[in-house]
Amino acid sequence: MFKLFTSSNIYFLIEKSIKFINSIFFIILLIGLTFSLVLSPPDFIQGYSVRIMYVHVPSAWIGLACFSLITLLSIFNFIFKIKNFYLINKSLAPIGLLFTCLAIITGALWGKPTWGTWWEWDARLTSMLVLMFFYLLYIAIFKVMKNQELAIKLSSIVVIIGSVNLPIIKYSVDWWNTLHQPASIKISGSSSVHASMMVPLMVMLLVFLLYCALIFLMKYKTEIIRIKKKNIKRL
Amino acid sequence: MIANLIAMNGYGIFVWTSFCIVLFACVALYLKTKKTLKKYEKEFVTEFEALSSNKKNEVFNSSKIVRQVLATNSKTN
Repeated sequence: MFKLFTSSNIYFLIEKSIKFINSIFFIILLIGLTFSLVLSPPDFIQGYSVRIMYVHVPSAWIGLACFSLITLLSIFNFIFKIKNFYLINKSLAPIGLLFTCLAIITGALWGKPTWGTWWEWDARLTSMLVLMFFYLLYIAIFKVMKNQELAIKLSSIVVIIGSVNLPIIKYSVDWWNTLHQPASIKISGSSSVHASMMVPLMVMLLVFLLYCALIFLMKYKTEIIRIKKKNIKRL
Repeated sequence: MIANLIAMNGYGIFVWTSFCIVLFACVALYLKTKKTLKKYEKEFVTEFEALSSNKKNEVFNSSKIVRQVLATNSKTN
């Protein structure tokens, strides 16, 4: 089954996927921006500042999802020793870092008009900041360490330790008294977000996911070429 | 209507700044990623061209990826 994950098989899929995403991306982006900046209604308490939600929430979800995936693949890499998993992780980390940073920045921009402050050392905000530092540490290991095997082991340990922070981020709003509101959208159970706001949110999430896929595929392709280049040098 | 869209009852500065920061950061990462990819593709082709003709044939026939990279590079040049 794992033979499906060979570099040559994946490379052809990457080429096709990049072309496909490029062909549909701008149309969906335009729809997403129209919904979120023009058509979506103001919130009865927060007014138009609620529109920041359409970039803040998908950014935070992607930041968390990337780290969860990196953790999962690091554990699999420990067990099955599949090199592609480490390449996937290395390509995912910068995307996760970008969106975690964007979630923090847009959160601050949303916090000022709604809470009256840019930043507060409460559980949700601090745990997101900790996540950002784990991403930075993870990327720094690959940049600094020349020994690849050691870098993979060390980065996997960092990610597994960092994964303890994931449930803290998720449940911080329930466990502690925080400025941050509790989750409005739940995977199981009802959502307290009205359809007129849910549609723009989902379209923007789709835009962000397509962007992530595009960057991931380009980075993964770069990693494959880098390895092939190394192999040519050895000849 | 356009003035309302920009001002958003005083929240415009926060909303537009958020969207602009996200857009700028995403474009920056996209351009950096694309530049790195092109750089590696170019370096790969240079390394390949430096090989002897026997080695070139060997590498060319043994790897689908090599053929694909060379094809992509010739299209973009």
